[in-house]
Amino acid sequence: MLGLGALAALLVCAFTPLPNLVSSWLALPARIEPAGAIVVLGSSIFPDGSLSGTALRRTVYALRLYRRGLAPLLLFSGPPGSGGRPSEPAARADFARELGIPGSALLTVTAQTTREEATKVAAELRRHGVRRILLVSESQHLRRANPLFEQEGLEVLPAPADLRIGADPEGRLEVAREIIKELAARLLYRLQGRA
Amino acid sequence: MDVVILGLTALTSLAAYAVGRHRLRLPARALRPAVDRMLEGLGLAVVFFAANLAIGGAGILLGRAVSGQFVSLYVLDDSVLLVFSVLQGMVFAGWRDGRVPEAVR
Repeated sequence: MLGLGALAALLVCAFTPLPNLVSSWLALPARIEPAGAIVVLGSSIFPDGSLSGTALRRTVYALRLYRRGLAPLLLFSGPPGSGGRPSEPAARADFARELGIPGSALLTVTAQTTREEATKVAAELRRHGVRRILLVSESQHLRRANPLFEQEGLEVLPAPADLRIGADPEGRLEVAREIIKELAARLLYRLQGRA
Repeated sequence: MDVVILGLTALTSLAAYAVGRHRLRLPARALRPAVDRMLEGLGLAVVFFAANLAIGGAGILLGRAVSGQFVSLYVLDDSVLLVFSVLQGMVFAGWRDGRVPEAVR
């Protein structure tokens, strides 16, 4: 019975638009308006220090927002470096500098979890007198991250870098996996009394 | 893309059926129990996957609390864990099936 259910779930997720519909339903709608800073949440980097696909997508989207003049500051957060590998925020800031963003506009914060990112980013932005931010991440992640940043006293404008729509069976399975991962993270945060 | 994948799988399944029936002389009535065994293995794989995630997640959270060292829960977000769970399910289903080959009796 469980096997039949698993097979049915696999087929539904891979060959129907259900994951995309659920993803769109769960996603936080974008609100792109001028703000004091663009905050880009962390993802991961490869062992050679290059940005992962997700990290690159968020960074490029944030750079586009910056180029549109939506905020004077770009803040990159993410995990610290280890074993000689640079931190993800530092790698992103280097990438932004190479693309012509002035160093005076770049801020970095290292943090391990979304909760820790919210606390540390808010503290850093308070020093710069920023209260209103454009928050860049994947739409699923923003649903969880937004309240955490609001709890820190920031006005948050969600800026999803990706709507997570799968175009083929593998893509839809990836969307389903992201949904399950985010729902599990939300459940864990709720159990820990963090959201 | 969807049609290609479904069509390809249907085509090779039909070819396998033809080979099984005509070349290997397998009885058609044995197909249904084979599907049942596959579903049983798949169900057990789900159980193993859930157990791996639950035990792994609890272990990481406990390790964080005890050692103060941060280990990301995302280490469990790895396709290899799913593949291993399927292998665990298949082996356990075969074992539970309880049929011992003549050679090892």
